[in-house]
Amino acid sequence: MKLKLIPKNEQELSKFFVILFPLFLILSSAVMFVKNSYFTFANILPHNAIFNYGKLATIESQVSFNLLTSASLSLLFVYLFSKSLGRKMVLFPLAFLTLLGLIGVSFLGVIVQNSLVSLLTILILFGLTGIATINVLAKKENTIFSSAQHIYGAIVILFVATVISRSSLEIYSDQILVSSLTSSLINMTAIPLLFMSAIYFLMTKGLGATLYSKTLSSISFWGFLFLLPWTSFKYYYGSVLPNWLENVSIYLSLSLIVPLLAFVVNFIQSSQDNNDRSDRLLSQLNFSMIVFTVTTALHVASSFANLLPILGLTNFVYAIKFGYLSSLIIVVMSLILYLIPKLFGREVSYTNFDKLGLTAVNISLLLYLVNNLVIGINSGYSWNAGANAGNPTIYGEGFQIQWELISVNFMANTFISLLFFASAGLYFITTVKAISSGAVTTVEEMVSS
Amino acid sequence: MSDLVNKVAELLNAPVDLVQRSAEARAVASGTTVDAVLSSWAGGESVASAAPAAEAPKEEAPVEEEVVEEAPVEEEVVEEAPAEEEVVEVVGEIVEEEVFLEVEQESSFAFIGGVVAIAVFTFLLAFSIPKNQELAIVNDSLNNKVETTNDVIKGAQVYNELNCQSCHTQNVRALIPDTQNGRVLSNKFANEALIKTVGDLRTAPDLSTNNTREPTNNSQWLKRYLKDSTSVNRDIPHPSYTFVSESDLDYLITYLLSLGESNE
Repeated sequence: MKLKLIPKNEQELSKFFVILFPLFLILSSAVMFVKNSYFTFANILPHNAIFNYGKLATIESQVSFNLLTSASLSLLFVYLFSKSLGRKMVLFPLAFLTLLGLIGVSFLGVIVQNSLVSLLTILILFGLTGIATINVLAKKENTIFSSAQHIYGAIVILFVATVISRSSLEIYSDQILVSSLTSSLINMTAIPLLFMSAIYFLMTKGLGATLYSKTLSSISFWGFLFLLPWTSFKYYYGSVLPNWLENVSIYLSLSLIVPLLAFVVNFIQSSQDNNDRSDRLLSQLNFSMIVFTVTTALHVASSFANLLPILGLTNFVYAIKFGYLSSLIIVVMSLILYLIPKLFGREVSYTNFDKLGLTAVNISLLLYLVNNLVIGINSGYSWNAGANAGNPTIYGEGFQIQWELISVNFMANTFISLLFFASAGLYFITTVKAISSGAVTTVEEMVSS
Repeated sequence: MSDLVNKVAELLNAPVDLVQRSAEARAVASGTTVDAVLSSWAGGESVASAAPAAEAPKEEAPVEEEVVEEAPVEEEVVEEAPAEEEVVEVVGEIVEEEVFLEVEQESSFAFIGGVVAIAVFTFLLAFSIPKNQELAIVNDSLNNKVETTNDVIKGAQVYNELNCQSCHTQNVRALIPDTQNGRVLSNKFANEALIKTVGDLRTAPDLSTNNTREPTNNSQWLKRYLKDSTSVNRDIPHPSYTFVSESDLDYLITYLLSLGESNE
């Protein structure tokens, strides 16, 4: 295995991110486990400036949603973008530095959260948007491939999100508006777009299939891009946000069914044309699609007026964000295993050990998603039931009732995240084993011109 | 004509419909009839001379001449063979053209313009209408005159540093509508640090009316709870803020006691 300090082309840079992502996955799962432990075993664990639930929750959010997303974006951008546009990347050295900067600033964001870090993030994402735009303008293919479309959309949305997050807060509802929109843009728009970019690549190139319909692909892309940023305001139903904004959010959420159907139909029809018979890859893609579809379906279903008062401001919202992140994690893991033979010239063996790691990651992510959905529904239900009975469980006195209902699930979160941590370790071993000692195979030539 | 097509197809070992379409395309390109094209292909005569794409076959002509010179007896055979090659090449070129025409050019400008338009729309809507609308409501509020002390703001900063809002919100919904909650609205005019304490997940009790309830309106109880929550309730997990300095803890308590004071 050869890793050059300064990569000369997309292929060499892709290798770096192929190794980096599993490491970040381990870091993310480790922080998640420690954070949950501080919830379950708060009374017996030592507390200090870093090891307390509040600080760990901040770090976990940065590591899981920012660092992992940045690593995924970098890998997808450097490998898929130029490949989709049919040419070598324009301004490659600049793209290399920008992506390194993105990873660096995301890592810095884990340690410190201040104005300088957010300004740097804006600057880097602005640069990345510029490089992506130049590359799209200089495309050599007749059409813009779906993968490139989705990656470009994700980059622009991330850039807008970071700009919005720095807005001045003039009134109380601004905080809700800004935090909701930023979270919605990053976790519910950019991450799903990145997920879809990888899916479009793997379900065609990976499975040796032909894209069923470019029109359906366009419907899903433009549909999700336009609708998703506005769908999280509904979870603040009845708050200080303007009512019209909450209502718009509800209707746009219901409209998500159209791009979702277009995307699912395209995937099903395309993947049936699985010429390479890559069963392992297909099953991974199917699983990630199930997670994505269920998450989006729950996001749509939660728009119904009688469910909103129960689900708003609960772990249900976190579960939706986590569902999208999980689907991205699963598909990027699959992409990495697909890329190892092409980039490193080594076969992935898929022994029982390897299969165990992949399955354990899938199961742990699914369990974590379901468990947090249950916490969200139960806590929301108990709040409303308590309020109707004259015992406000949102306050300290009545909170005991609600805690008894959800404490078991919070304890389960700790053990599920432990399983996730262990399985992320197994996945890392799988990738290292394949890269270092897998059977030798042909390395792919990256781009032609 | 169908016999001619079949003959050419047989000669070229190519599908009949492909030959027919290719001949039609070539006829259009060369300004002749389909029959003329097919006849020329069947007879081994190239019609490419009339078409721009005929340059490559012409280059092969000297080779033919050399062969003819060496073996005059085999003249006919020699002539037929390169003619086949020519026709195959011509058919291939035409098919490629047809496929190419089916793929529409997608404009990069249109695509980038669409994405940027959505991004700009998101940005503008997020920063114009909601703020103005809420400012009007806040300006009409009776609670605008509530003053916030520096100690409260420092307490809010400690609250943000400890990330208390990862569990506690100050979004009382349904029970006490936010727009009628004086303290919530008065935060607008105080400080950005106060606004940041809103919180998105209601995992732990809501703190917006902290000072209106027993025992959380008692500073001594709060101090004891924040330092060692197990001394009050072992069942509910809460961080023990033994690592926070006494002064910061006092600021935090001042802030917590300010929540809900104007709601009565």
